[in-house]
Amino acid sequence: MDDLRHDKDYTLYKPILETDKRFYIILLILLGVVAWAGYMYFRQLQTGLGVTGLNRAISWGFYIINFVFFIGISHAGTLISAILRLSQAEWRRPITRMAEVITAIVLLIGAVHPILDLGRPDRILNVFYYGRLQSPLLWDVTAISMYFTASTVYLYVPLIPDIALLRDRTHKFKWFYNFCSWGYQGTEHHKKVLGKAMTILMVIVIPVAVSVHTVISFIFSMTIQPGWHSTIFGPYFVVGAIFSGTATLLVVMIAFRKMYHFENYLKEIHFQYLSLLLLIFSIFWAYFTFSEFITGIYGNEPMEMNIIRYKLFGDYAPFFWGMVILNFVIPIIVLSFKKLKTIKGIFLTSCGVIIGMWLERLIIVVPSLTNPRLPYEIIPYVPSLTECALFMGGISLFCLGFLIFSKLFPLISIWELEEGRTEGLQEAKARLDSYLPNVVITGGNHYE
Amino acid sequence: MNNRKKMESPWIYAMQLSSVILMWVFVTGIITWIFNLLRLSIYLKDAQNATLGISLVVIPVFILLASVLTYVFIGMHKKTDEQQKNI
Repeated sequence: MDDLRHDKDYTLYKPILETDKRFYIILLILLGVVAWAGYMYFRQLQTGLGVTGLNRAISWGFYIINFVFFIGISHAGTLISAILRLSQAEWRRPITRMAEVITAIVLLIGAVHPILDLGRPDRILNVFYYGRLQSPLLWDVTAISMYFTASTVYLYVPLIPDIALLRDRTHKFKWFYNFCSWGYQGTEHHKKVLGKAMTILMVIVIPVAVSVHTVISFIFSMTIQPGWHSTIFGPYFVVGAIFSGTATLLVVMIAFRKMYHFENYLKEIHFQYLSLLLLIFSIFWAYFTFSEFITGIYGNEPMEMNIIRYKLFGDYAPFFWGMVILNFVIPIIVLSFKKLKTIKGIFLTSCGVIIGMWLERLIIVVPSLTNPRLPYEIIPYVPSLTECALFMGGISLFCLGFLIFSKLFPLISIWELEEGRTEGLQEAKARLDSYLPNVVITGGNHYE
Repeated sequence: MNNRKKMESPWIYAMQLSSVILMWVFVTGIITWIFNLLRLSIYLKDAQNATLGISLVVIPVFILLASVLTYVFIGMHKKTDEQQKNI
């Protein structure tokens, strides 16, 4: 313990070894919100879905919006981490762990939401008893369970060397770290085994991540409901997912940088690179939104136009234009100008993008149901306190999960940083040498 | 890395082994469920091709994930045994 205090990376061990008052206060607040959400859900179980704002025509509300929203956020984490690792981007080292944790926690929270949407949660077992794979709902179950397994394994395998470090260098949770480290000793053979496993996982995780959000979009696009039946929904959802996930990663990085004093690890350059990705995806998102609406408007199909008008100029216009401002106008302004592209500016823009992407999910789910083709009497959808409580509970559970993780494991990969210090420079140099053309002097100033 | 004595605890090894076995139990469960869905779709003559297509993607991915974990587990413990022999 004493020698650890003099370690150059003690800042990374500190959150695990030392706990201040602030941590317990945040923990209590989060636990309080989760308990409140738990109570509201218990009430929903007792009285049924009548306590929500759902009604006969509008059968999907907050729960499904949050399901798509949370699953979307989860996509960027592992995807960004895997792409950066595969492309051997050296600046990835302090980022990958946080990205992977986001995926594992948020995916779990998102996956629970369809169960919240069931008045009788025990009926989820029908999926296993009587499920049929011709239903996109079942594709979701399969895809999410596949992605959750892949991302959990992908989080765990690169964590093993750090768990071994904690086992050997700290006196906390000794038994737990012993169990989780799987006997890792840091030998060349062990490093080789982990390296191979990680390479296989990186290759699997990328297509799985892309396929999952495509499949999520299928629960809408496979119906012939106006506003949902679209061929570009798959890629549109994937782009939106990476966009919102990158914003969440930036928010998490900035929050923990401030909380645990990671300024020396998460430097300005990391935020500059990630915010560039955010800017690119903002443009992609705008392009897909434009394509989605222009094809509908040009087709001029009456039912489709009802929904488009409802979104652009009707009751949902404030949400639609709010979404456009938060997801496109603000990111373009803030992230294009060096003066505005500060860490504070990036943080505020990312928060805006997260809200904007939630609004996008709202705009996709609800307006199609509020304009049904059948002659229903329409009761506008207003979320109830139960739905709001469960949404707050979901967000608190995410923060709680992250906070507990930070108390057990390092939020920044220690072994990857060390590897970067010892081997990264030579590796990068060797790679650069291999990229550049060989220079052969054939005499005088002539090069071939 | 000087915790050899604790790491060799049979309880910890048993727990680690159980976690790998649990992963395989989970994967076997998923595969059984997928096979059941496939059987049902053939019996009902309902979307058999789609079901077969999905099964052909899902089953190998789950097996691959469990195999990667098993490979890591064996890789970690194999070397430890060799080290013990050297000692």
